[in-house]
Amino acid sequence: MGKRILVVDDAMFMRTAVKKILEQAGYEIAGEAENGEVAVKIYNETKPDAVLMDITMPVMDGVSAAKTILKSDPNAVVIMCTAIGQQNLVIEAIKAGVKDYIVKPFKPERVIEGLNKALAA
Amino acid sequence: MKVEFVNPFISAAFAVFESVIGQRPERGQLSMRKTTFTTQQVTIVAGVSGQISGTALYGMSLVTAQKIASALMQSELTVLDEMAWSALSELGNMITGNAITLLANNGYDVNISPPSVIRGRNIEISTKTPAIVVPMMTQQGLVEINVALEENDMAQAKAA
Repeated sequence: MGKRILVVDDAMFMRTAVKKILEQAGYEIAGEAENGEVAVKIYNETKPDAVLMDITMPVMDGVSAAKTILKSDPNAVVIMCTAIGQQNLVIEAIKAGVKDYIVKPFKPERVIEGLNKALAA
Repeated sequence: MKVEFVNPFISAAFAVFESVIGQRPERGQLSMRKTTFTTQQVTIVAGVSGQISGTALYGMSLVTAQKIASALMQSELTVLDEMAWSALSELGNMITGNAITLLANNGYDVNISPPSVIRGRNIEISTKTPAIVVPMMTQQGLVEINVALEENDMAQAKAA
């Protein structure tokens, strides 16, 4: 059975594109969320193998959501997937325990490579 | 409003277009626009806050919006549905996100809010500062980048 991934992005278009990339690579979709708050809730309900997390979202941003998830589950595999790539944000996310940081626009291979690596570690 | 705030948006828009749509646009002549102006048929709006604050707008015709959404979704769209609007909004997010990364490289700490897409003619937009406008000719048609940003003093930025 493929590893189960939670896809978090406020843009429906991006969730759909990412889900397609994941499914083509043999991953399964554990769930999807349109903001950080919903992501935390679905994470706790479904306990996915990994999370792909956008940053700029309404209600609760992705960095806060990643921190919340990692606080309750330090072994969580969270990968940021965002249009903003400034160094201080990357450092903040990595310090919080995020496994990888992918900047949009990305190539599909980059997402799969990041997931494969993070899940193998 | 400093011209140096605009360059990151131009670079980001060109890079994102090239990466996502696969072709490099052509750049038109830069101009100024006063604080209140009428938008194009479709406008993607993204807010910027922090050391620099204001709005980035990406305006285009309905036909161009449809062509760009089709290119993003890799299928010919005849109607602009919810998914198409989401794709355009994400395009605005990617351009603005990449632009603020470049601004951060220049020492400005800024953040963005999730973009929204406005549709309709003769909508008047008011910005705090005059906008600098850069037309960008893409294979899908004209996209106008409007950047209206101002620098806040540090104390103000920290309080916000």
